Amino acid sequence: MNDVTDMKNYYSLLISDWEKAIAQLLEDYSIYAPIENSDSIDYEFIDTEHIPEIIYNIPKPTTPLKTFFLPVKENLTSQGKLNSKRIIIGTPNCDIQGLGILDEIYLDKDYIDHAYKTKRDKTILISSSCFETQEHCHCMIYGINPYAKTIADISLSRVDQKVHLEVLSDKGEYFIQQLKDKTAISNSPESEIKDIELKQSKIENQIIADNPGLPDYKKTGKIVEKASDEIWKKYSSTCVSCGACATICPTCTCFLLVDKPNFEKVRQLDACQYPGFERVAGGEDALGALPRRFQNRYFCKYVWKPQKFKSLACTGCGRCIEACIGKINKNELFREVAN
Amino acid sequence: MSETKNIYKPIRAKLLEVITESPTIKTFVMEPEEAFSFKTGEFIELTVDGIGEAPFTPSSSPLETKQIEVTVMKTGYVTEYLHNMKAGETLGIRGPFGRGYPVERFYDKEVLILGGGCGFAPIRSLLYNLAAISDKLKKVTLCYGAKTPDECIYRPYVDQLRNTPKFEVHRTVDDPDETWTENVGVATVLLDKININIKDSIAVCCGPPIMMKFGTQKLLEMGYPDHDIYLSMEKNMSCGLGKCGHCMMGKYFVCKEGPVFTYDEIKDQPDIWS
Ligand code: SF4
Ligand code: SF4
Ligand code: FES
Repeated sequence: MNDVTDMKNYYSLLISDWEKAIAQLLEDYSIYAPIENSDSIDYEFIDTEHIPEIIYNIPKPTTPLKTFFLPVKENLTSQGKLNSKRIIIGTPNCDIQGLGILDEIYLDKDYIDHAYKTKRDKTILISSSCFETQEHCHCMIYGINPYAKTIADISLSRVDQKVHLEVLSDKGEYFIQQLKDKTAISNSPESEIKDIELKQSKIENQIIADNPGLPDYKKTGKIVEKASDEIWKKYSSTCVSCGACATICPTCTCFLLVDKPNFEKVRQLDACQYPGFERVAGGEDALGALPRRFQNRYFCKYVWKPQKFKSLACTGCGRCIEACIGKINKNELFREVAN
Repeated sequence: MSETKNIYKPIRAKLLEVITESPTIKTFVMEPEEAFSFKTGEFIELTVDGIGEAPFTPSSSPLETKQIEVTVMKTGYVTEYLHNMKAGETLGIRGPFGRGYPVERFYDKEVLILGGGCGFAPIRSLLYNLAAISDKLKKVTLCYGAKTPDECIYRPYVDQLRNTPKFEVHRTVDDPDETWTENVGVATVLLDKININIKDSIAVCCGPPIMMKFGTQKLLEMGYPDHDIYLSMEKNMSCGLGKCGHCMMGKYFVCKEGPVFTYDEIKDQPDIWS
């Protein structure tokens, strides 16, 4: 890529103009973005009043992005109304990259999942660079930057009174065209792009500094294979099989088809951490014992999926660590076995 | 928006006949309302309306395209309902899914088939297929074991096979009764009785996990190389499409990359026999 196209791909506008444009886009799109609630920051359905409350450039909202594409429950056979066009604003890159493996699974050419595809096609993803970090963020250790360059359509950075939009895809290009019809928008000056890049690299360095000695994604598979039965017993001893770690994980996508009358199928998200996940009609259950079940999630993410998919099966978002009521921290396991 | 086919929607199939094979095993003969065909060893997801779905490998000939048969042992919730169904009712079918038996690779060889219990269902489909191409095969030897003479299903078909050139059938039961005149013991005992040129043959094994485990061990002892032992794996399944994750056996989605694997392909994966 040469400088000219680089410049063309970065646009900026005043936050006040951006907010007015968003208000106009509400006529054609459902828009979701993070706002602050009583005790958390999470995606909300945005109406005109909410627009000024949108929070940009923060680490992950509570809910993983996957939920927009794989709802907890969804009828896959009844001809429900077509999903409306959507814009999701403010997703950090860990979750954006988490969509990679979902795309590989649900858009697999052999069997395209129509429900997932429709949602994916109709959604414009406006990621935002992380300008701060949270306690358990470790994306960089697994090779994911805290800003999007792929999968998302736009990468947004808010700096002072300006919003900068880096175009990452054709859909992103189309979005910019729509914005241009509504408001004044110009190419970002080189110096301001430099400022953004500086902020981004500061965060990269901070995440690395915050995770000393944490084994990277190239090593995690070997560590999981090497871990002894004692390790699995020890780390699973406080696990209550609640499945929160999988539910909250942006890359865990297992589900169960539930039958409804008239040959309808409802997809319900499932998790290998629930007892009985692999039980067969004859009664055999490879994951019957808790340590074995607990271990399965690690093998899946760090050993098996990497042998099969190009995209990462763990983005280092840290949600599973925050969500676990057994206070289990996968990174402690990795550190202990690595040493 | 382009029309993407709905991979979750079953096609309807009319239940034409229910054949009782044993006190716990029935065969369901169905006529799909839309064109439907499969290769031997591939499986379908069968829906009992509003109740549930379960994977079965058809027991009928892949060359028969109007009707399809599955043979089902009563083992759980869905199969219980299925067993209560009558001719004239409607079932749902999705599929066919997965990778079946690579029959072309059996050409010019002796085929040894080791089967147990309800594993005879997929094997019968394979046998139909092999019988149709028997001019390309050297010989087919079936070794089949069941718990009791009652559970020795497909009797008329077995008689027919015994009269088919190039086909040989050996049977055994664990618990014989006074009418039983054939072998006694687990299926693997039959392997000591047969005469087969291992160098020139491949082996197929299909049955309950415990039989597959000991069967594979025995086949290895007999000198079959890992890549010449074909196993039809059974796992918990839901989608059949390589998406839901239920059937994972190590790095494999059994539903999509299997259910038929060579031992060579799966020997390093965890929990293959459970
Ligand atoms: S969140 Fe913690 S307690 Fe719950 S299933 Fe996962 S590891 Fe077990
Ligand atoms: S395993 Fe944990 S850190 Fe990795 S992507 Fe899932 S929730 Fe995030
Ligand atoms: S049965 Fe769903 S992935 Fe195999």
